[in-house]
Amino acid sequence: MSKERKPEEIRLAENLDITEAAPLAADLVKFRGSDIRIDASQVRKIGGQCLQVLLSGVSTSIQDGAHFEVINPSPDFTDSLEAFGLNLSFFSSQEPAL
Amino acid sequence: MDTMAAIKQTFFQECEEQLVELESGLLALDDGSSGPDTVNAVFRAVHSIKGGAGAFGLEQLVRFAHAFETALDLVRAGKIAPTKPILKIMLSAADMLADLVRVAREDGVADDAEITRMVQQLESVCGMPTSGTAEKTPPSKPNAIVSSDDDFDFIPIQISLEDLIDAVPISQNCFQVTFDPKPGFYARANEPALLLRDLAGLGETNVTCDTSRIPSLAELDPEGAYLAWTVKLHTDKDEKTIRDIFEFVEFDCEITITELASDEEFDTAAFSQLLSVASGQSDMPPEPVEPKLEKLAAEIQSRNEEANARKNEGAKAFNQAGATIRVDLERVERLIDLVGELVINQAILSQRVAEARIARSSALAMGLDDLEQLSREIQDSVMAIRAQPVKPIFQRMSRVVREAADMTGKSVTLQCDGDTTEVDKTVIERLTDPLTHMIRNAIDHGIEKPEARLAAGKPETGHIRLAAMHRSGRVVIEISDDGGGINRERVRSAAISKGLIEPEAQLSDEEIDNLIFLPGFSTASTVTDMSGRGVGMDVVKRSIQALGGRIAISSTPGKGSSFVMSLPLTLAVLDGMIVSVHEETLIVPLTAIVETLKPLKNDIYDMGGESRVIRIRDTFVPLIDIGRVLGYRNEAADPDECVVVLIDLEGHARRALLVDTIQGQRQVVIKSLEANYRRVDGIAAATILGDGRVALILDVDAVVENANVRAHAQTNNVPLLETAAAE
Repeated sequence: MSKERKPEEIRLAENLDITEAAPLAADLVKFRGSDIRIDASQVRKIGGQCLQVLLSGVSTSIQDGAHFEVINPSPDFTDSLEAFGLNLSFFSSQEPAL
Repeated sequence: MDTMAAIKQTFFQECEEQLVELESGLLALDDGSSGPDTVNAVFRAVHSIKGGAGAFGLEQLVRFAHAFETALDLVRAGKIAPTKPILKIMLSAADMLADLVRVAREDGVADDAEITRMVQQLESVCGMPTSGTAEKTPPSKPNAIVSSDDDFDFIPIQISLEDLIDAVPISQNCFQVTFDPKPGFYARANEPALLLRDLAGLGETNVTCDTSRIPSLAELDPEGAYLAWTVKLHTDKDEKTIRDIFEFVEFDCEITITELASDEEFDTAAFSQLLSVASGQSDMPPEPVEPKLEKLAAEIQSRNEEANARKNEGAKAFNQAGATIRVDLERVERLIDLVGELVINQAILSQRVAEARIARSSALAMGLDDLEQLSREIQDSVMAIRAQPVKPIFQRMSRVVREAADMTGKSVTLQCDGDTTEVDKTVIERLTDPLTHMIRNAIDHGIEKPEARLAAGKPETGHIRLAAMHRSGRVVIEISDDGGGINRERVRSAAISKGLIEPEAQLSDEEIDNLIFLPGFSTASTVTDMSGRGVGMDVVKRSIQALGGRIAISSTPGKGSSFVMSLPLTLAVLDGMIVSVHEETLIVPLTAIVETLKPLKNDIYDMGGESRVIRIRDTFVPLIDIGRVLGYRNEAADPDECVVVLIDLEGHARRALLVDTIQGQRQVVIKSLEANYRRVDGIAAATILGDGRVALILDVDAVVENANVRAHAQTNNVPLLETAAAE
C-alpha cells in the first residue's frame, strides 16, 4: 500500500536538541502508516532524545510495513550518529544495519 | 516560555526543594536527631544543585556548591565529626547556597569575595587545605547546557583504523563503561553526546548503543529515556577520572565502570574487523547478517511486553512512593476560576428553581442538590491542589533566627511544630514577611541578652516556638517566645508620647499590648536597626488582615509573648452568613460568628453618642450598627426590627453586629474588590450571589475598628471620618 503513495517528507531542524523531540515525534505520529522520508541535510547536531524519536519512527515504520529512509544526511548528522555508536543503516529500511 | 527556560525554572524549583532538604538535614544533625542517612541526604542535596548548576553554566553556584560538597563529603566519609561549630558554619553555607541560587535565578552575580570567605571558613573548620580552593574550578568541567545560545558540538574523532589497531597498547587500562540515562537526565538538560565525547577524550573508545528499549511511536514519551550506551575504553587514566566525567549526572543515570581483566575481553581483532566493515575498507565479505532493522523491530516488539510489565511495576512503585506531577500554576488558577464560576452558576440555578416554586422533593430540585454537593467536592479537591505544607516557610525562619541571633549577640533556638499543616499557596507566600518581622521582633525585643536571662533564672539560650495547626476550618499560626514579655509601662508611655492615646486613658493589659499594632507606634526610636527595617507591627497586622486573617497578642511579663494568627485555609471561597442591612446584602464570615439572637429593647443601653451596648447573658457587649458604620443610614436602627450577630474577635473580645435580617448561610466565591474596583474600608471582598447581584463580604475587624474610630471621634468632638463604604 505504502509504495503507491508519495512518501511524506520531514525536514529535520538544524539543531535537534531537546526542544525538537516532541514536535518531531508528533510529525512522525501524524504520518504513521505512510512512507516517510527524513531529510537530514540541514542537521548540524542531534541530541539523545531526538535520536530516540527517530529510532522509534523507523522501528514503527517497519512494524507498519511502511518505508522509512533518511536522505541527504549532512556530514554532521553521520558524524553525530557515530559518536552515539550508531550509523545510517539504523535509519533505513533498505539496508541492513550494523 | 520556551522549553529551555521551562527546564531552567524546573531546576530552580528543584533547588528550592533541595535547599529545604539541606537545611532540615543540617538542623537534624545539629540537634542530634539523625544519622548517616541524613548526612547522605544533605550531601545529595548540594550535589544535585551543583549538577544542575553545572548544566546551566552557573559558575559561581557550581564553585561554591563544589567546596560545600567537599566539606560534606568529609563528614560523609567519617573523616570529620559534625560538631556544633562545624554545623554552624555549614548552616551559614546553606544560607549562602540559597542566596547564590536566588542570585542565579535573577540572572545576577554574587560577590566573589563573600563566596571565597565562606569557602575559607568551611575549609578552616573542616581542616581542609586552604589553598584558595574557591578559585579553583571543580575537577570535572560541568556539561554545557543544550540550548541555542550555548551550543554543544559533536567533535568527530578522526581515527585512522590502522593507527587505532596499532595504537592499543597492551599496558593501557581497559574499562567497560555502561551508561543508562533516566528521564531526569534529559530533563536537566544533560546530553549523552557530551559525556561520550568526554570519554572519547580519555582514550580510544568503542561505543555501542543499546536500542532495545525503544518503544513504538504510540508508546513513546519524547521526553523519556530509552537508550543506553556501553563504551569500551582504552586509556592511561584511572577509574576516578572516568567517574569524574559523570560527576554531575550520577543521580540521573545508571553508571557502571568495570575494569576489564585482560585485553582479550577487549576484542581488538573483532573491533578492527568491525570498523573495517563499517568503513567499507575491509576486503573480507561481510558476514551474512539478517537485516538488522527487522531484527531490531522484532526485538523491540518482543521487549515491548517486558517494558509494559516493567512500566506497570514502575507505576505501582511510583504510586506507592507518592507520585507527584508539576503543573503550571496558571493552569491551576484557571481551574480554580472555572470552578468558582461553576459554584456561582450552580447557586444561580438553585435560586431560579426556588423562584419557580419547584418542590424540594422534585427530581429537579434533588438533582440540583446533588450538583451542589458535587460542586463543593470539586471545589475542595481543586483547593487541595493549591494547598502546601508550611514547612518551607518555617524552614526559612530558622535562617532568620540564626541571623537575628548573630546580629544581636543572643543565643536562640527555634522549635517548629506542625510544619506539615497545609494552607493555600498564596497564603503561604504572603506569610513570609509578617513571620520574618515577628521573629526578628521576638529576638530583638523579646528574648533577653544571655546575662539577663541567667540573672532571671532562665536558660542562657532563648527559645522561640513556631507552630501551625488547623482549627475550625482555619489555620492558626503561633509564634511564642520565652523572653521578657511586653514592657507595658514602656509601651504605654511610648503611645502617649506619640499621641496615640491620652495620658489619662484607662487601658487594660490586653489593650496596652495591642497598642503595638497601631500605625505610627514603631519608629526608629523604639525599634532597632534589625527589626525596624521600615516595617512596623501595624504593617504585619495589615498583611494578616489582607489575607482575611486576624492576629492576637498575649504577653506575660518576665515569661514571654505569644502572637496567634488565624488565617483562612484558602482565599478562594468562604462560608458566610448572608445578611441584609438597609436593603443591601452583606456576607459575614461564618468563622467570626458565635451566635445570632433577636435583641430585646430592654437589653440595649445607650452609652452616649452612637455608642450602645447590649446585655447578653450577664455580660455587656458593644453594639455595632452596621448600617451606620458603613454609611447606609444616618439614624440608629430600631433593635426591635433587627437581628444581632455576635462575633468573636481575636483576643476573645466580642462585638454585637446589628443587621436587619438574616437570609441564610452559603459558601461564596471570593472576588477581590481591590482587583476589580478598589480597596474599601470595612469590606474584605465581594461575591456574586445566586440572583446575580454583587454582595460585599464584611471585614469584621475593620468594621469594629471603624466603629471605635467613630466613637472616639464623637467623644472628642472631631468630625467623623468618612468611611470608604459610605462614598
